[in-house]
Amino acid sequence: MAEKLEDLNLPLTVVTRIVKEALPDGVSISKEARTGLAKAASVFVLYVTSAATNIVKNNKRKALTGQDVLEAMSDIEFDRFVDSLRDALELYKQAVSAKKLASGKKKDEGEDVEMVEDE
Amino acid sequence: MSTPKAEKDLHLPLSRVKTIMKSSPEVDAVGPEPLYLVTKVTELFVTDLAKRAFKNSKNNFLEYKHIAEVVQEDDTLDFLREIMPRKITVQQFKELMAKKSSRGDESDETSEESSDEESSEESSSSNNAESQNS
Repeated sequence: MAEKLEDLNLPLTVVTRIVKEALPDGVSISKEARTGLAKAASVFVLYVTSAATNIVKNNKRKALTGQDVLEAMSDIEFDRFVDSLRDALELYKQAVSAKKLASGKKKDEGEDVEMVEDE
Repeated sequence: MSTPKAEKDLHLPLSRVKTIMKSSPEVDAVGPEPLYLVTKVTELFVTDLAKRAFKNSKNNFLEYKHIAEVVQEDDTLDFLREIMPRKITVQQFKELMAKKSSRGDESDETSEESSDEESSEESSSSNNAESQNS
């Protein structure tokens, strides 16, 4: 559980940095716009989470998976993010398996993922 | 080398996103993969919202009202409408109230006075004042 209420908000400075990267150089953003965007982002996290947990519940499973998050996007009509998100998931999985390989092939499934992406 | 490369392109702190996700009563554990994706999509969301709001702005200055406009016009952003109400000026608010009371609704008079006190420039159309403090 969160200790303080602020823990349930995304950090303003980080959200502002994302916004600045998204907009052309030299744009100024009012304080109210910055807090508004940070708040919107925090609420969005919960919105996505609840959509994804609905999928988990409907399938009578317990653990939330990356695939659930992907599917949740269509449910809440944010299909426009699905493609980039699927790419991100691919990259993430590759990074994770590369890490596993690097840590000495402790697990057998490490073999299958070796260099699949180059073929 | 301790974190996978993919996690390094994220801006938002995973730990904070995790705390927010876990504040939902239906979530007890969050694995690294869904956590990564929720964080990623939240960044995409902020980028998208900021870019669209920026189209409504002028003179390279992004203001709250530009974001509120996007939120009010896009039905998929319905979940934000309560926390991002369109704001009106006190002047507009008075006119609104004057219209109402001229229709014969006397009970509105008290609410008009109380909201005059709490805001100097702008008055939120809903009573959501906490967007100001952070």
